[in-house]
Amino acid sequence: MDILYSFGNGLLVALEPANLLYCFVGVFLGTFIGVLPGIGSMAAISMILPLTFYLEPTSALVMIAGVYYGAEYGGSIASILMNIPGTPSSSITCIDGYPMARDGRAGIALFASAIASFGGGIMGMIVMAILAPALAQLALNFGPTEYFAVILLGLVAASAVSNGSPIKGIAMVAAGLMFGTVGVDITTGAERFTMGVPELRDGVHLVIVAMGLFGVGELIVSIRANAKGEHDNEIDYANFYPSKAEWKAMVAPIFRGSGIGSFFGALPGTGQTVASAVAYAIEKKVSPNRAKFGKGAIEGVAVPEAANNSATQTAFIPTLTLGVPGSASMALVIGALMMYGIVPGPRLLVDHADLFWGLVASFLIGNVLLLILNIPLIGLWVKLLKIPYRYMYPTIIVLICVGVYSLNNNVFDVWLTLVFGWAGYLMRLFRFEPAPFLIGFVLGPMMEEQLRRAMLLSRGDATVFLTRPISGTLIVITALLLVYAFYSAMRQRRAGQNSPSTPEA
Amino acid sequence: MREFLLRLQQHAKEKHAPHAYFGALGGAGFLVLSIIFIVGGFELGVGSPRRLGTGAFPVITGFILALLSMGVIAADLRDTTDAEKPDWISFVAIGGALAVFALTVGRIGLVPGIFLTTITASLPDPSLRFPGKLGLAALVSLACWGLFIGLIGLPFDAFMRLN
Repeated sequence: MDILYSFGNGLLVALEPANLLYCFVGVFLGTFIGVLPGIGSMAAISMILPLTFYLEPTSALVMIAGVYYGAEYGGSIASILMNIPGTPSSSITCIDGYPMARDGRAGIALFASAIASFGGGIMGMIVMAILAPALAQLALNFGPTEYFAVILLGLVAASAVSNGSPIKGIAMVAAGLMFGTVGVDITTGAERFTMGVPELRDGVHLVIVAMGLFGVGELIVSIRANAKGEHDNEIDYANFYPSKAEWKAMVAPIFRGSGIGSFFGALPGTGQTVASAVAYAIEKKVSPNRAKFGKGAIEGVAVPEAANNSATQTAFIPTLTLGVPGSASMALVIGALMMYGIVPGPRLLVDHADLFWGLVASFLIGNVLLLILNIPLIGLWVKLLKIPYRYMYPTIIVLICVGVYSLNNNVFDVWLTLVFGWAGYLMRLFRFEPAPFLIGFVLGPMMEEQLRRAMLLSRGDATVFLTRPISGTLIVITALLLVYAFYSAMRQRRAGQNSPSTPEA
Repeated sequence: MREFLLRLQQHAKEKHAPHAYFGALGGAGFLVLSIIFIVGGFELGVGSPRRLGTGAFPVITGFILALLSMGVIAADLRDTTDAEKPDWISFVAIGGALAVFALTVGRIGLVPGIFLTTITASLPDPSLRFPGKLGLAALVSLACWGLFIGLIGLPFDAFMRLN
């Protein structure tokens, strides 16, 4: 009852005309900026931050939050239509969203993304309202061994993202982990594999890897495909509405994605990208439609979108209740709060209850606004695909260049994108899928950090991963998953050998 | 190896190379990469089990990748399916477009940089004639000027600084 009462009060705060206006402005600007490739939520919040200095703290936070989840939603639009992740977390949406667009189902993919984002957002809001204190406590109980085991499970599941051979999928994950080590080692301060290049000291930005592997790599492939007329889709502009079967197929993944996203969003340092990657990998294992994943499965759009949007909301839990930012964007939120003299932490719920509950209620309003704003705009976004590809792809290249350049105002990032773009094309040529690489790259630095902490705390005893109950259970699940992946690959191979008409995989 | 060489001879005159060569090449590339990281990791220091060194994680992941790469090479050498024909023209043109942007944006400004980038990127598509490429480049560069500098206010120089 207390929660309902507090939420009711929060709703009154959020429905104040000024807060409603700032929420709308935030969501609108966030979506617009998020659509632009490479300019993600962090850049969007940075751009909007100076404007919030003149607002009341609650209005400012509501507007920043609107920009944040608006940008996260907007990122999926570029992922679906152009295979360019607008934000890092929407890179997973590319895997099935873009094939759907190429099949002439861009409208349905965007609709599914909007509905899943809405579902994930609402679920994230409910989780934040009900479980904020409890989830914060649970996250506090996670030690390095548990974090390591969760990440390991995520990585093994990520190899399942690959539609090709599991060995190639795991190899790509390992390569991603390796590239994640480039830069300054945060524990010792030593430079690793930077080759003396100062720009590599901070490592390779995720946006560069995603833009290169997915954006540039796909563009090189698509130019010739376009010349052959493979991209001339018959797009039904009137049909944005999923069929009854597609609705049915989306419901369970939205719930699963929202649950996984809510959990990962609440863990400091994980964030939406990890949430959407893990949710996608798990869905690919449990979905009855798993064979269609990577080829335009609607579940493959719904699950990462639900996960990243719910994680976007629950990322505020550690930020506001512990003062621990889960991501760089959340660090900006903490910075904004501190400029108002508000110190995030367990006392925030007591000392600034109106702000906390006003923000929670604004999630509801913001997500409704996002839906109202974006469903009618689907037609406009889809019409982008009607533009002949010969005009489209040079424009996309320019957007990639500007997006990457805007990260640090440094052309080195553009050169690096060129390298990853060429690598992405060669990977496709060699039949290596880039998605597991990206997931390994995201999770690698965190995995290394937790491994080193766990080994230090256990005085070099590696059995600690098996003896602690949570990590032990997770590692057993990981091992079972690995055995299952290789068993199914061998079974498929044997089936291929028995069938003379089937080419060798 | 003998089988591989025999198949190499057998397919030498075919239009498309079988995927075996490309797949094995990919695996070999990863093998080289893993060796670089293993050697580099050992040079950085692997530390002790209690206090893992800077190079420990690259060495661990490098060894895993090396093993997997050998598995990939072994598996792909048995692959008999056709390989995709590479599109080197698009490969060079798209890479060239990024290179042109990187070389020009700081020197002559965002707008002319985008103009040249657009032209370079559009080169591999013969369906758009040169006047069309010029028109598209002009349109895209002006639109980006308005959007990124005018509307969003990104701190880029639109044109070369005269001083």
